[in-house]
Amino acid sequence: MDRVLEIGNHAAGYCGRLFVQAGYEVVRIEPATRAPAWVRDEAMDLFLHPGKRRVAVDSIELIEQLANQADVVILEADSSDSVDRYRFDQWSTPVKVAITPFGRTGPKKNWQATAHVLLAIGGYTNIMGDPDRAPLSLPGHYLEFQCGQFAYTAANACRLAGERNQVDISMLECVMALSQFTTMMWHCMGMVRTRHGNDFWWVVPTNLFPCKDGWVYINIIQTFWEAFTGFIDRPELLNDVRFTTNDLRMENREAMHEIVEQSLAAWTKSEVRKRAAAARIPAGVVQTLGEVLADAHLAERDFWQMVEGGSQAVRVPSLPFRMDNEPRPSFSVSSVESVSEEHHG
Amino acid sequence: MADGPLRGIRILDLTHVWAGPLGTRVLSDLGAEIVKIERSLGRGPREVVDSPIGGWIGGEPGDDPWNNKSAFIKLARNRQSVSLDLKSPRGRETFLQLVAVADVVIENFSARAMPTLDLDYEALKAANPSVIYVSMPGYGKYGPYRDWVAFGTTVEPMSGLTNVMGYSKEEPRSTAMALPDPIAGVSAAAAVVTALRRREQTGQGAFVEMSLFESGVSFQGPWLVEHQFGGDVEPLGNRHPGMAPHGVYRCLGEDDWLALACPDAAAWRALCAVVGDLDPSLDLDGRTASHDHIDEVITTWTCQRHKVDATAQLQKAGVAAGPVNSTPEMLADPQVQHRKFFVPYERFSTPIPGNPIRMAGISPDDWTPCPKLGADNAAVLKDWLRYTDQQIADLADQTIITDQPPE
Repeated sequence: MDRVLEIGNHAAGYCGRLFVQAGYEVVRIEPATRAPAWVRDEAMDLFLHPGKRRVAVDSIELIEQLANQADVVILEADSSDSVDRYRFDQWSTPVKVAITPFGRTGPKKNWQATAHVLLAIGGYTNIMGDPDRAPLSLPGHYLEFQCGQFAYTAANACRLAGERNQVDISMLECVMALSQFTTMMWHCMGMVRTRHGNDFWWVVPTNLFPCKDGWVYINIIQTFWEAFTGFIDRPELLNDVRFTTNDLRMENREAMHEIVEQSLAAWTKSEVRKRAAAARIPAGVVQTLGEVLADAHLAERDFWQMVEGGSQAVRVPSLPFRMDNEPRPSFSVSSVESVSEEHHG
Repeated sequence: MADGPLRGIRILDLTHVWAGPLGTRVLSDLGAEIVKIERSLGRGPREVVDSPIGGWIGGEPGDDPWNNKSAFIKLARNRQSVSLDLKSPRGRETFLQLVAVADVVIENFSARAMPTLDLDYEALKAANPSVIYVSMPGYGKYGPYRDWVAFGTTVEPMSGLTNVMGYSKEEPRSTAMALPDPIAGVSAAAAVVTALRRREQTGQGAFVEMSLFESGVSFQGPWLVEHQFGGDVEPLGNRHPGMAPHGVYRCLGEDDWLALACPDAAAWRALCAVVGDLDPSLDLDGRTASHDHIDEVITTWTCQRHKVDATAQLQKAGVAAGPVNSTPEMLADPQVQHRKFFVPYERFSTPIPGNPIRMAGISPDDWTPCPKLGADNAAVLKDWLRYTDQQIADLADQTIITDQPPE
């Protein structure tokens, strides 16, 4: 099995997590300074670092030695020059992946950025939030984890082929690779996608609506229109000339939304779920984090992993894919070992 | 076709919409040989019914509108198209013959679709014991929600994300991008390489089961752990619990904004030097406590500047900042242009996003445009199955293979 060396913060950490879960040996070099996270350090460690050997290393030379002993190295750094400072290009590791904000070439290769900044430059932020207010940035670690997934995929593809290779992953390019249709809308229609709050805008009704005890997202493409009229107990809408096609519903957006709001206001989230399942229409309620942890579907699918370490054992989401219905592995988080050249030698 | 480390890996791609095609696009860029298996109506009917989201490639529906939907085309490079009727016994038989010589089958239908076609894992495995079958319905193949209808937009709030995103606790916001889709798409690519490597070691195929729901939930992991510690997780608008300042600030222009973050004390001092009227000695707690005032000072400064000029000034000082770009601004960004991230290999020089995995041996110069529906029926059946011209003509006569939607 491959030996993987992980250096960096949340993107490298997520990549290493994937390797651990796939059964590989991962050594993580803890950064001297942790990047700010959306949660306390202990929570981040329990999510990202179970099953890894975690070491603190006191020199570039020793990192190079460890890299040269690995089959795969994942290095996440804050700029291209930072990658160079590790002498990354000289390492003899068969597969080396560098993750940087802007990639290792180009006029901005040494610009400073966080995920928040990259989401803005890459077009995500401009379309999130309300039209008459500041754009909303995406909270959480979506971008870093997606970069980790790309790094993992690239490294494994190279190992599968038996290739030696060096991979350059730009976090900005990860954002731009994962746009939905904004670039096509611009090039093919001359339209710039902007913010519409919770309204998806081009498909009506597709929006977040209040219900009796929370919120529910409804997404009704034409295929589901008839079922939807049944779902809200308004079958007469099928013959309402204002609403028979999506284009017409777009024209009569406010009237449509008013009808949906009136219907949903009477139902709880639980009732919405039952009715949507029975009517077979796409609807999803806003679950709190506690509700996600208590979700019956996830429980029945044995989705959670128990992770030991730190002050308490916690349930952690397992990987989004599962092979042959195998049991979810359980892990613990190790403490950080200090490794010096003297000890390593 | 694309070259890369996955050359020689044959993938039968039955995916549709966003998550699945995104996953196979990533794999195709790495050199996998992808055959897209499509039903005759998979790209829509012959006639134009509605304007598709994203529009038509080249701006017009053309004579064959089903082949010109830009959102479909964006995700369908580097592959061949076989339009095959899986509901007919002969079409199913042909499909299983393709499975017998494939490495991977991937689909994102509803949980009931493949069993209805009598094409569940057992059927695929009987045709090819070492096949890797990736199934990615909205809520997975089993469990209480297995038959729920799911789009990324409706799964996103179920994942917990909407509960922590918004201007305030009372004003939750969706991402407007159906985020479980791109998460699941990239996860699917990761799953395929994981299964391929496992097969290399064990010789065994695999049934890889995944869902949009679990993909979405998996990325909320840190918050879900924090919640178990009793942490108070709420929407923070554009602020961050571990950085201050952290926000989106209005600039000169009608709807022009700049994103800025100070992850450490050095960045804060650099910001103070540029903006002025701020106390460089404040630590994180102090900056968090006075975030409203800091935002006012920054806004006073940014409001007098164009977002690109302000960004340049801040970056020069070492502050993480960037313009909130619209699509044309993003496409014109000098870094994006320099690295040629958007690739005009498609018709009408349409810029299509590249792959963020850059390495020797893969090049957008090799990429091929989205094929027309059924364009490769004959080529694939001859190449993979050694079908004769007569066998192919028989399938076409029975409309088991086709290159256009039905009348």
